[in-house]
Amino acid sequence: MTILDVHGVSRRFGGLQALSDVTFSVPKGQIIGLIGPNGAGKTTFFSTLVGLIKPDKGSILLDGEPVVGLKPHKIARLGMTKTFQNVALFGESSVLDNVLTAGLLRHDVDAAREEALKCLDRVGLRSIAHQQAGILSFPERARVELARALCTGPKVLLLDEVMAALNPVEMQEVMDLIRSLRDDGITLLVVEHHMRAIMAICDRILVLNFGKLLADGTPEQIANDPQVVEAYLGKSMEKRA
Amino acid sequence: MKRWLLLAIVLAVAGLLPLALDPRGYWIRVLTFTLLFAAMAQAWNIIGGLANQTSLGHAAFFGIGAYTSTILLLKFSISPWLGMLAGGVFGGLAALVIAIPTMRLQGHYFALATLAFGEVMRVIANVWASLTGGPAGISVPFSPPSIAGYSFKLLLPHTYIAIAALVITTVIFEWIQRGAMGYRLRAIKENPSAAEVIGIDTTRVKLQAAVISGALMAMLGTLYAQVAVFFDPDTVFSAAGISIRVALIAILGGIGTAIGPILGAFFIIPLEELMNEWLSSSAAGLSQLVFGLILIAVILWRPHGFITVLRSLRAKFTKGAAR
Amino acid sequence: MAFIQAVIDGLLIGGVYAVISIGLTLVYGVMGIINFAQAEFLMVGMLVAWFAWAFLGLDPVLAAPLSFAVAFVIGWFVQGQLISRVLKAPSVAQIFLTVGLLIVIENSALLAFGSQFRSVTTWYQTMSLSLGPLFVSVPYLIAFAMSLACGVLLWWFMRASWFGRAMRATAQNPAAAQLMGIDSALMYRIAFALGVGLTAFGGAVILPYVTVYPGVGGQYVVLMFTVVVLGGLGSVAGAVVGGLAVGVIQALSALVFPIQLQNLVLFLVFIMVLAVKPQGLVGASR
Repeated sequence: MTILDVHGVSRRFGGLQALSDVTFSVPKGQIIGLIGPNGAGKTTFFSTLVGLIKPDKGSILLDGEPVVGLKPHKIARLGMTKTFQNVALFGESSVLDNVLTAGLLRHDVDAAREEALKCLDRVGLRSIAHQQAGILSFPERARVELARALCTGPKVLLLDEVMAALNPVEMQEVMDLIRSLRDDGITLLVVEHHMRAIMAICDRILVLNFGKLLADGTPEQIANDPQVVEAYLGKSMEKRA
Repeated sequence: MKRWLLLAIVLAVAGLLPLALDPRGYWIRVLTFTLLFAAMAQAWNIIGGLANQTSLGHAAFFGIGAYTSTILLLKFSISPWLGMLAGGVFGGLAALVIAIPTMRLQGHYFALATLAFGEVMRVIANVWASLTGGPAGISVPFSPPSIAGYSFKLLLPHTYIAIAALVITTVIFEWIQRGAMGYRLRAIKENPSAAEVIGIDTTRVKLQAAVISGALMAMLGTLYAQVAVFFDPDTVFSAAGISIRVALIAILGGIGTAIGPILGAFFIIPLEELMNEWLSSSAAGLSQLVFGLILIAVILWRPHGFITVLRSLRAKFTKGAAR
Repeated sequence: MAFIQAVIDGLLIGGVYAVISIGLTLVYGVMGIINFAQAEFLMVGMLVAWFAWAFLGLDPVLAAPLSFAVAFVIGWFVQGQLISRVLKAPSVAQIFLTVGLLIVIENSALLAFGSQFRSVTTWYQTMSLSLGPLFVSVPYLIAFAMSLACGVLLWWFMRASWFGRAMRATAQNPAAAQLMGIDSALMYRIAFALGVGLTAFGGAVILPYVTVYPGVGGQYVVLMFTVVVLGGLGSVAGAVVGGLAVGVIQALSALVFPIQLQNLVLFLVFIMVLAVKPQGLVGASR
């Protein structure tokens, strides 16, 4: 069952073609990796999916519903949301309040609080629920943002470099978390630069370069694709393997 | 527990204080207007403090309320209480008219639009003399004293109505701040894009705040009309006397806090009265000049208002007690 | 015929509105703040010119550079001491700092000079040139000519002088400008002082046909903001277009509505621009 159907999405900013005819489908319950060099258009693409940016051309269907042109809050209600690469928490509020606010999409305040605590449990941050979000370390904030996105009850969750600045232990925790979210029925698109992690958890990988979809396949296929290797993976892949 | 006790004491004092004053005297009038302005500042606080949208034209709603109830009473003998509700509806509608085109733009646009709107309402009221009485003003027609008719022999009932108005607006403020709407407004203030992405309809929430604020302000206009008995466009639609003053009160006291407008009003209004007493007309403008300087000083050095001074004082005292 | 007359009058007055409002848009374009006290500098300019006329016998139009200078100095001080401190503060702080400034300036004038109305009489006050069936009011024409001269000077300054180009660079990208050795704090001071100076210049220029009193700024607030929003906040060319447009709209609406309702028409224009094309006719750089 296809949960996300992207067809011919293009977007230009002045002289730059940020996205060019991106087309792919995602079946429910998969973990899809999205990789590519810096500036390839990955974050732009996520912003387009959630409605922060409107594509010039193309269609996006979320569980059969067309979402191009809808405002982000409507798309969130339909079940798709994302985390921000640079983390966009509400710094003045507590960790709990940050996540609670997302829960208000589908619950009243008290129920949202319950949901928020559950989400914080899920990411292992229950203990800092009452700390001010703005003073946390970057990895902690990234985790809170994940919990917040989770609290909207999404069908499709877009994670933008949630493993940045993590040590191997933390990275493994996040990888396990992503897998468990998938086991709960959430479909995930994950932008990441850590190749090992991507190869390990993803069912499928999309490769973006200069706004174009360069390749779409299983981790093995991608690792052996000469175009991908040349454009992005290069020698580092051999070193890691 | 302690907070409720403090609140109960304050309310008791507030309830008894008016009785202690000379019922025909000057100070009870000052108290009444202080309470009224505190309520007005609280209404402004909802949009200016919670929604973080600076309105420089709240007088528009105030005047709409004052004129609506008075005209309805004058022409159709409708009770000012009903007139107040009608004014509230018009005030809310007016807020929508202003907010819909401007809220998605940067904050400055909303400030400009509200400033212009206040001015325009003043001009309309001055020009449409057949409806409003024009620059000559309008008088609230005399009714025999009755609660239903919102007419009283003494000032005292008005004082209690003002207390009730302040309590009600503050309760509404708190209800918004602590409820779902408060969370959403705080999110919008910090990061509107992130707020949208997690499902908050930023436009709708801000419009709701604007409508509530405008409607409350309009209803307070009726309170003013009934106390003042006579008013004109230049008074109720005044940019300096109403719009800027209520914003100033909220900011000085502590923008975005429930107690800020109350602190601000109880500082500014009596001070203004005292200054006008001492200085008389030879130094016209001096009290306003002083307030302008205070506003600048607060913005530069204590942007969160007097309440920060109070909080640091309280922190000092509790630290001392702990030792 | 009355229509064409109104258009002529509107264009002449509109040219002045442009000069009055350019300062507002300049400050926004370079610093990103709206100076709510801008109209008060109009009053300052008018007062300076009035006193020059009353005590020195100077025609207001000749006193305009003096008005500019006085306002420039005040603006220099205000920007350095006050505005600069809120450039990075939330918009509430910025808005109310300039509102506080508005209150201080207006009431200082009230205190120092009293609330009376003051006006000048010039030898050309009631003169007008006739162009066939049309009249060109001489005071309007002189005001327009002065505004035009001022506009040309400003254009030269912005395009050709180092300061002008440095200011534009700062407006577009403050960080990059600094990296090239441009002192942004200095640029902001120049921009603000220049902006309020221009408005004061405009005030002197309209004194022959407008009466000054401490609250006169309030009459022009809605007008000035309509001009800059119509033209596009931040665009100097937009202020010119907006000024002319507002002048013509005002003159035409005077044919149909009583004079007090003109602000209402302007306000409706203002709201419609915001609703439909907030970047204005020419579009802003921010």
